[in-house]
Amino acid sequence: MSAHTNSLLFAMSAPPYWHCGRTVCKRSMDQLLALAPAMVMALINWGLPALRVVALSVVVCVLVEVVCCAIMHRRQTVHDFSAVVTGVLFAFLLPAAAPWWLVVIGAACAMLFGKMLFGGLGDNPVSTPLIGWAILFVSFPLFMDPNVMQLASDYEDPLAVLKYLGVARAQEISLVDLLLGRQIAALGAGQIGGLLVGGVYLLFRGVIRWQIVLGMLAGVLIPFAFVHSLAETATITPTFHLFTGSVVLCAFFIATESNIAPTHSLAMILYGLTCGILVFLIRSYGSYTDGAPFAILVASLLTPYFDLVRPKPFGVR
Amino acid sequence: MKELFTMLTDPRFHLVSNVRERFGQGPEPTYVRLNREGFSIDAGIKKKTLVHPYMHLATHPFAGKGDLFAPMYGEITDITERSVFVRHMEPTEEMKAACEAEPMTDILACEERGEALVPVLKAMGLNTKSLGQECETLIVNCQNPDPGVTWAEPMLLTHTRTLAAGLTMLRRLSRAQRIILAVPEELKIKVHDFEVVPVPSRYPASVNALVVKAVTGRERPDGIGIVGLHNVWSLGHVAMTRKPLIETVITIGSLSFTGNYIVRDGSTVGELLKFARVTLSAGDTIVRGGPLRGESVDKQDRSITKGATGLFLVEKGSVAPMIGHSPCVSCGSCVAICPARLRPDMLSRYAEFGLHKRCLEQYISSCLECGLCGYVCIARRPVLQYIRLAKAKLGISVLKTEGLYAQEEATTTGEARS
Repeated sequence: MSAHTNSLLFAMSAPPYWHCGRTVCKRSMDQLLALAPAMVMALINWGLPALRVVALSVVVCVLVEVVCCAIMHRRQTVHDFSAVVTGVLFAFLLPAAAPWWLVVIGAACAMLFGKMLFGGLGDNPVSTPLIGWAILFVSFPLFMDPNVMQLASDYEDPLAVLKYLGVARAQEISLVDLLLGRQIAALGAGQIGGLLVGGVYLLFRGVIRWQIVLGMLAGVLIPFAFVHSLAETATITPTFHLFTGSVVLCAFFIATESNIAPTHSLAMILYGLTCGILVFLIRSYGSYTDGAPFAILVASLLTPYFDLVRPKPFGVR
Repeated sequence: MKELFTMLTDPRFHLVSNVRERFGQGPEPTYVRLNREGFSIDAGIKKKTLVHPYMHLATHPFAGKGDLFAPMYGEITDITERSVFVRHMEPTEEMKAACEAEPMTDILACEERGEALVPVLKAMGLNTKSLGQECETLIVNCQNPDPGVTWAEPMLLTHTRTLAAGLTMLRRLSRAQRIILAVPEELKIKVHDFEVVPVPSRYPASVNALVVKAVTGRERPDGIGIVGLHNVWSLGHVAMTRKPLIETVITIGSLSFTGNYIVRDGSTVGELLKFARVTLSAGDTIVRGGPLRGESVDKQDRSITKGATGLFLVEKGSVAPMIGHSPCVSCGSCVAICPARLRPDMLSRYAEFGLHKRCLEQYISSCLECGLCGYVCIARRPVLQYIRLAKAKLGISVLKTEGLYAQEEATTTGEARS
């Protein structure tokens, strides 16, 4: 049409033309980076068996995603590294001594029933690693109990101590030991110090929402603190509950999985509080010593209801 | 909290750029493409007609839409349904004389006020739809509209005479009892005889609805009109030059360069970028309008129209590419960032699958079209485009301030801007 038209081809797209630079892949990298301190601590505390479980879990998760995408004739999504994150998170919920078949079954179930059947990343209503964990926990309770699996360890399971040996004995366990992961718990969930460092990193990177973390931590701490201050018999401190089991892992890494959580601020706080209070209820009145993964499974099923709690849109009267 | 924990860390979102330089004069175009959609061409104007600057070419039937004038010496090479094309040529003595003979109109000396002023301004190529809104209070949005655009501060602080002339004309034109200048809070300025209200200056604070909220404290109040500083400047420019409007101010920017220029109506983007010494390479995106709300153009001979705010080059590789059919991963970033407290994730999904009715239940008409949802989308979904699609399908006016729909907006959706 004109002399100015030359052969250069330009990219056309929809606005906005600037972008924050975050992508799904970079988010996964951030999450892996945030999980790294806990991974290192797991290696120190549990040695190579921990690495074995994590590696196997990651490989299975990635393979399942590749195969599912191929079978369903969908665009291959494995390069976004979300399967790797799921693999690591799932492994963090297993005992370091878990047998290989347990890891394979769990990781495959997690990816299949917790993600791919729903249509891939972001479409699952409940947390992917928790699906695998729940299937294994119900099917193979003994193999999933770190206290049973880690017989060779010098550490002890603080929650089992509290439940079966009493408060006085549990009070002897130092918080520093708990923070440094010197406790029997799932291989990653017990590395409290590393998880806290990674979780705070994710918070400030904007990957996870502070409302959920704050809500869940408050939901655990407040009821336990209430009981602790009011009970006439001796009770354990609320921080003990925070640093045991998988509360920290769940609060920072699993409850915050954005597709299972509501999205508006107040709803997120309520959801977090619900997770925390359920942990309190399960630990206080249930037979299961940890409770955090179940609490999140239940709370995430309520997410559609939390989503009804939303601010008025702009200008709506 | 948004700044601390989420995603608006980009310093470019601070709308105060500290640019104070006078606007540069843009290039003499060798070729222009004038938008004539809806205009009726004057008798005698056809292919091969020789034109000179300020020569009247076409009239729009709508009273609030300014007439079309030739921006330079040249020859009309083509007239299509959408455009008039003019190629530059060296003026002959006759053409120079004809240009000299074009009348000067001092609109500042006009006696007319209010409605009566509209035809006068229309004959000077000015759009008056948004200027003379029915309202009690008129707010002048003195912010740079988009991140990256930097002409607002020079307009306020450097070209003060043009601004004063524009404001004088605005007061004469508008029926508003109060005219308030909404100025970024960092700029402590006083404008003679006008009320100045400081407003926050981080994008999306420049979006009209949010400026109104910052000034009045209410969301979508009645009786409030808002007009962009750019329009006031055009008014002032016509008052100062006493000639019809054939120029506009734009920011030309790339990753490493930014500058403000007064450019001719219809200048092609290729010439403007070349003039600003911005090198183009294959795969870049040329953006007409602001980087958040503008539109990409496919060819270098697309042109800048009077309402345009900027021209930007987004280099290939500087942002992650948008890849078609990228599904939502429910990361929640768009919900966290949305200034209208909407759920862009659900809106875009409904639009994606054609469930436009459901968008109404999600309050789609509250959307301010700031574009932040797409800016933070980690799946690189065209969220804003999905919302605009659904709005268009539902018959809700699209708020687009630039480009393709600009004309439509000027004629039909003046009230939607407020």
